[in-house]
Amino acid sequence: MSAWRQAGLTYINYSNIAAKVLRRSLKQEFRAEALKRDESHVRVTPWANGRPARKLFFETTFNTYLKRF
Amino acid sequence: MALAFRGVIRNVARRLQVRNYADAPKGDEMALTFAAGNKVFYDKQVVKQIDVPSFSGAFGILPKHVPTLAVLRPGVVTILENDGKQNKIFVSSGTITVNDDSSVQVLAEEAHPLESIDRSAAQEALSKAQSEFNSASNEKAKAEAAIALEVAEEIVKAASA
Repeated sequence: MSAWRQAGLTYINYSNIAAKVLRRSLKQEFRAEALKRDESHVRVTPWANGRPARKLFFETTFNTYLKRF
Repeated sequence: MALAFRGVIRNVARRLQVRNYADAPKGDEMALTFAAGNKVFYDKQVVKQIDVPSFSGAFGILPKHVPTLAVLRPGVVTILENDGKQNKIFVSSGTITVNDDSSVQVLAEEAHPLESIDRSAAQEALSKAQSEFNSASNEKAKAEAAIALEVAEEIVKAASA
């Protein structure tokens, strides 16, 4: 079993980290465009009992807290 | 009577099968679709050979390859086009599917031609990943840093080749 899977990461996590590292290794002219793909914003509305449980909840995806890479 | 009936069904099925393969490219051709989140590189283009790095080993694909599903590792995908031109594209991760009609789909998360990669930027990413790995506090952070390290090493290797 892969080391990362044992540590609790999924292939999706692996894929996102790999993509981030690649984007940072590009030549200057391609980097700006590529870094836009790093962030993605998701609006989440949890539902319970057929109605929204919370009013509005903005969540930036997992991607953005991997900022250190 | 049942025996004859079975024979008829079998012949009909065989003829239907033959009809399905009629639109596929010629038996010895391979149609490649290679797309990434950032760009489509090939769209059902007939090529000679594709070399891919996967978690189950690096392998080359020629027409009539056995149908396969594999997960890509960070590495270089080399495409040998019909006119003899070789195209090298670095892929961060993704999947590859080889179908029984010899069509191949490579779907990558992020893919860039080797010319777009900056060797010094890659080295920088490598040293950053190295320091992250050394300063990692928990298992998860260590695993994340290990992945970044592995990928950065591959990029540097590809950029230096």
